Amino acid sequence: MAKIELSNISHTYNPNDTNPTYALNPFSMTWENGKRYAILGPSGCGKTTMLNIVSGLVRPSKGNILFDEKDVTDLITEERNIAQVFQFPVIYNTMTVYDNLAFPLRCRNFTNQKIEERVKSVSDTLRLSSFLNSPARKLTADQKQLISLGRGLVREDVAGVLMDEPLTVIDPDLKFRLRRNLKEINEQYKTTLVYVTHDQNEAMTFADNIIVMDQGEIVQVGLPKDLFEKPRTTFVGYFIGSPAMNLFNSEILSDNSIKFNNGTIKIKTDLSKIKDKNVKLGIRSEFIKIATDQKENIVNVKVTRVEDFGNFKLITGKAGDLEIKSKVEREIPISTEELKLHLPAEKCCIYSNEMLVN
Amino acid sequence: MEKLYKFLKYTFIILWTVFIVAPFLWAISTSFKDFQSVNSKVTYIPWLDFEPTLEGWRVLVKSPARGGVDIVEPYFNSLFVTCTASLISIVLGTLAAYALSRFTFKAGFVRNNDITFFFISQRIMPPIVLSIPFFIFLSTIGLLDSLIGLVVVYIVLLMPIAVWIMVDFFNRVPKELDETALIDGCNPYQAFYKVVLPNSIPGLIVAGMFCIIFGWIDFFFAFILTFTEVQLLPVKVVALNSSITPWWSLSASALISVAPLIIVAFIVERYLSKGNLSGALK
Repeated sequence: MAKIELSNISHTYNPNDTNPTYALNPFSMTWENGKRYAILGPSGCGKTTMLNIVSGLVRPSKGNILFDEKDVTDLITEERNIAQVFQFPVIYNTMTVYDNLAFPLRCRNFTNQKIEERVKSVSDTLRLSSFLNSPARKLTADQKQLISLGRGLVREDVAGVLMDEPLTVIDPDLKFRLRRNLKEINEQYKTTLVYVTHDQNEAMTFADNIIVMDQGEIVQVGLPKDLFEKPRTTFVGYFIGSPAMNLFNSEILSDNSIKFNNGTIKIKTDLSKIKDKNVKLGIRSEFIKIATDQKENIVNVKVTRVEDFGNFKLITGKAGDLEIKSKVEREIPISTEELKLHLPAEKCCIYSNEMLVN
Repeated sequence: MEKLYKFLKYTFIILWTVFIVAPFLWAISTSFKDFQSVNSKVTYIPWLDFEPTLEGWRVLVKSPARGGVDIVEPYFNSLFVTCTASLISIVLGTLAAYALSRFTFKAGFVRNNDITFFFISQRIMPPIVLSIPFFIFLSTIGLLDSLIGLVVVYIVLLMPIAVWIMVDFFNRVPKELDETALIDGCNPYQAFYKVVLPNSIPGLIVAGMFCIIFGWIDFFFAFILTFTEVQLLPVKVVALNSSITPWWSLSASALISVAPLIIVAFIVERYLSKGNLSGALK
C-alpha cells in the first residue's frame, strides 16, 4: 500500500528516431493510497503503457515514479512489490490453484503459516476454496482469471494492484459480483486499485476517480459525475455516456447566448472572454426533455427515429441540419412527427477549440 | 455417406498399418531363420515353414574371437553419444532459444531472426561439406576416433534442431507469463526456470525427441570420424554385411536398433496426446 506518484512521465517506443512518436505525452499524476482509480480510454491510447511503467515492465523515456516519496524509476519489477493482472488469464499451468496463489508469497519468502492464512482468505473472497487442490489448467477461463486476480491480492503489503481490463473474459453476471468484491477488498485492505478499461460503465461503477485518456494524453481526471455532466473536452463528452453527448457547431451571439439552427439558446456560461466566435454546444441526451411549459431554449425537431431500449426511449430528431438525440422515459407518449425539445441552460456545455469553457 | 466415409477411413488405416508393420514382421521372422530357410524357398511361418533358430541373435552378442560380431559395445557407445549430445544440445539450445525469443539483439545488420537462421543454416549444408572441417578439427584437438569427439560433433548437429523448435515454442508462450512471474517477485532467472520452463515441457519433449532420433540414426559422421577405437551402432550394423549377406543377423540388429526409438515414441505419444501440455493462456 502506497501513494503512487508519476512525475513528468512520458514514453516513446522508438527513442532513437529523429522524430519519436510518443505513446504517452508528459504528464504528472498522484494516486492516493487506498483509493480506486479507473483509466478509461479507447484502444491504443496509452493505458497499458502507463500500467507497465508503474509496474516496471517498461522504463519511461522521461520522468520519475515514486512510491511513498521513494523513487523507484530504476527499480526492476520484482523489487517494486506491485501486482498486475492482465487482460487474459495468466496462470502457472503446471501448478495447483493453491500453488498459484501462494507463488507470489513463496517468491518473497513468507512463512508457510502466513502463506496458508493469506491463500485461504483470498480464495474465500474469490470463491476458489473448493478448487485449491486441482491443477490450475483444468479450470474454466473465468476461474483462471480469478486466480490471476487472487495472485494480485494475496500480498497484503503490495504497493498497488494494477488491472488491465481484467474482467474481459468473465461473464456479465460474475463481472458485477467481482467488481463489488474488488470494492470490498479495497475497503477492507485499503489496497490502491488501478483499473484499466474501455468500458465506461465498468469505470463508473468501480472507481472513486476516473482518468480519461486519448492518444497518449490525459484529458480529464474526475469523479464519474463530473465526467458525465462537465466533460472537459468534446472527446470526453463523446467517449463517455451512451449515446454520446450531443455536439453541435454553433456561433456566439452574446455573452450568454449562442446560435442554434435558426434560433437562440441561452446558456449559463460566461462567453465574454472567448475570442473565436465558432464554438460547440454539448448537451447530454439525458438532459434534453420534451418541452412542457418552458418559454426559452425550445427546439423544434422532426422526429426521424424512436428506439425503445426497454428502460428508456431514445428519440433521434432533426432540427435543420442538426441531429439531436434525447433520452426520455418510455411511458411518455411521443409524437412520431414533430416535437418541441427543451435544452436546459444549466446543462449546456460550451466548447471552444474542443475545450470546455468554464 | 457416413458409412462410405467410415469404410474408406478404415480401409486406408488398415492399408497404412500393413505398410508400416509388414517390414517389421518380415524382419522379426527373418531374424529367426538360418541360411537354409532364407535362401532355398519363400518361408513365412515359424515351425511350419521353417525351423526357428536363435543363431542370428546370438552372433550379435558373441565376441569376434568366437565368430560373433559383438554389437553390445557399439550399442552402448551410441546410447552414450546420443543421450549426452541430446542433453547438452537441449540445455544450451533452450537457453539460446529463450534469449532469442525474449530479448532483442543487434550487431551490425544482424537481428534475432538472423541469429536463429544461422543456427538452422548449419543443417542446410549437406553433411559432406562439413566432414573435412570436422575431421581436421577433431584431429587437431586429438579427439578423432573418440566418444567425446563424437559428442562434440553431434552437439553441433543437434543444437540447431533444439534452438529451432524451442524458439518457435517460446514465441508462442505469451510474454505476460514471464511478466507475471516478475511481478509476483521472481528475478528473471527464477521466472525462467520456475515458470517458463515447466510450461515448456511439451516443447522440450518434442525437441528432445528430434535430437535423439537424429543423433541415433546418424551414420555419416560416425563412419567418417571413427576407425577402430570407437564404433557406433549404425556403422557396426552396416559392417555386418559381407560376401554372404547375413539376413538373419542384419534383421536382428535392425530390430534392436529401432527398439529405443519405438520406446521413445510410445512415451512421447502418451505425453503429447494428453493435450494437457498446451499453452498457458486461456
